[in-house]
Amino acid sequence: MGFLDNSGDIILDAVLTDLGRKRLAEGNGKFRIDKFAFGDDEINYGLYDKGNTSGSAYYDLSILQTPVLEAFTNNMSSMKSRLISYTSNDLLYLPVIMLNNGGFAAAYPSPNTHMILSDQTTVDYMINANTTGNSTSLQEGFLNGNNPVNGDGFIRSDQGLNTPALSSDEVIDPTLIETQYFIQIDNRLGNIRPLTANTSNAFTPTSVDDDNIATYIFTEGDGSGVVDLIGANNSATSVIQGPQGTYTKFKVASSLDLKTSAFLFDEIGTVGTAASAITNDGYTLDGSAGKTFKFIDSTIRISGVSTGYTLDVPVRFIKKTS
Amino acid sequence: MATSFKTFDPGKDSVVTRNLLHEAIPITGSIISGTYGLNNIKNYSHGMFQSVYDYPYLSSSANHIIDLTCGYANNSILSGTSATHLQNAKKINIYNEMAQVLAGFTAAGAVREFDKDGDLTTGDKLQQAYFINFTRLLAKDEIKKGSFSIELGTGTAYTSPFATTVTITDASGANGYKVNSPAGEYGVLFAKDSTGSPMSAHGTNGTAVGLLYYQAGIAVLSASAFGSLLTTPVSMSRTDGSAVTWPSASVESVLTSSAISGNCDDLRNRLQNVSFNNTTELNSTIYFCRADNTDFNYSANPTYLSESKIVVKTDSQDVPVTYMTSVGLYSADNELLAVAKLSEPLKKDPTTEFTVRVRLDY
Repeated sequence: MGFLDNSGDIILDAVLTDLGRKRLAEGNGKFRIDKFAFGDDEINYGLYDKGNTSGSAYYDLSILQTPVLEAFTNNMSSMKSRLISYTSNDLLYLPVIMLNNGGFAAAYPSPNTHMILSDQTTVDYMINANTTGNSTSLQEGFLNGNNPVNGDGFIRSDQGLNTPALSSDEVIDPTLIETQYFIQIDNRLGNIRPLTANTSNAFTPTSVDDDNIATYIFTEGDGSGVVDLIGANNSATSVIQGPQGTYTKFKVASSLDLKTSAFLFDEIGTVGTAASAITNDGYTLDGSAGKTFKFIDSTIRISGVSTGYTLDVPVRFIKKTS
Repeated sequence: MATSFKTFDPGKDSVVTRNLLHEAIPITGSIISGTYGLNNIKNYSHGMFQSVYDYPYLSSSANHIIDLTCGYANNSILSGTSATHLQNAKKINIYNEMAQVLAGFTAAGAVREFDKDGDLTTGDKLQQAYFINFTRLLAKDEIKKGSFSIELGTGTAYTSPFATTVTITDASGANGYKVNSPAGEYGVLFAKDSTGSPMSAHGTNGTAVGLLYYQAGIAVLSASAFGSLLTTPVSMSRTDGSAVTWPSASVESVLTSSAISGNCDDLRNRLQNVSFNNTTELNSTIYFCRADNTDFNYSANPTYLSESKIVVKTDSQDVPVTYMTSVGLYSADNELLAVAKLSEPLKKDPTTEFTVRVRLDY
């Protein structure tokens, strides 16, 4: 997209997104604009120069000169960071969402990604048969995508004020606690599953857009177990340095397509090489010695509904094909 | 409680409007019959009409702009089955097709002939006509009434068609159009002298010479524009490379004895300029996105925070400030249905309020 002409009056370049056009074409009343939000995707607040000696009028000179791109029609590419309304004007700290990379929530060290094993063949191969031979032998960083109930791995994010300036013992301002999250995942690749072992059914996405991005909404106390207050019990395991809000915890199941076919791996994936080898207690998928594995890199987006903060979690779906 | 969405008040924050957008469409005669030779002219094996493009039609850059055809009524004096009649049935079929679509049917179910002045109860009929069909690319929703103009060459010799010209317009279209057609509104085309005085024999300028159907984007041009309307009828055809003079090449003779494609060639030879304004009907919904002084003063932009501290504030007493560049319009399910971008960042702090007006056209 080009930049908008900013030499004269302020103009507004408005387009329907591809999802908007799809909803319009469906003709079932789903194209109904109900609310709005403002975004500032192009702005780099690091350019705010509080030390400018010419005075406060010059603090934001660079920001105000930021050229603005034309509107993207892809709904996932726009409005990534939204402006937020708080009733108080004297907030100095705002909450963030961070990936909790500890224990079975850990990402595989290199390339710092959660590895999701797509089918039972891949899971079986990566389980260290020399030890217990059971499902728990998948090491940290691996998620059993074939049957999430049998795996310990999960993805966790923590929310709160991540600053050493404030003690984690302090109670976070209730207005800064995020109680509802969007979790978005490519629906062709996988779906969100609960953490608890006895509820293996997939959650139902709130919507699936024209690019197959499924959006789930989870709320604290909705019974899904995905969102909860960090609280005293697991405060020590949180990555938030200051006052803590809520966390999200979930597993990921690979889609039926990934379990049963290598089509998507061939279409949008990559064949593993020695350089992209992954190892689990001595078992290695490294693309050598007759072994072939394929993978698809994607992201799972976790966004706070009210605070608007967004975290993209990199994930890699893996399939051993020989 | 923090919030990043603001719900529209349905009775207050949106309004539906309708606007008409006009574009000027000038078509020079050199495109129709000169610049690209015959490379932008497409004839078909069925021979029923001829298409004109704005560029050689084998190129993907070419746009289809006009279709030309001609015909006469079954009871026209030109209708017949003699050896000199070429494509007689097709010419009648074309006339009937255009007439039934544009003029409709009589109470008895017969195809109604084109009426010269639009008064269907009485008066002369247009029984021999050229049809100029403008594509939707040019005409869009309709031709703007009162904007249509054709400069028609009326020079007697085929080889110097623009020695004299007449201008044909729908001058009365803006306030004198007719609504008794099944194809929408139409106006009467009037001809008057432009270069020279080719019509002087008629004593008056502004003689009815055709019809213009605004929504259909079709001009019906009477063959009399090249014949009885003029002091000296023109030579319409050059069949063998040499000028053929009237009356052997009169418009009546050529309409009878030449194929439709040949008649279209002859018409193109005498089209000097065509111009009109088209009309696009825009139905718009305007959304008023109101940011009150207490709204949208913080951001979820990752660069807004450094270790959770707001980078634009030194202490808590500083006013928060944000810079908006986009407006997202969402469904109740939080689906992003439309997005609008501001041409430059707008500063927002607790001392300012904005109403951003977003118009979506359909």
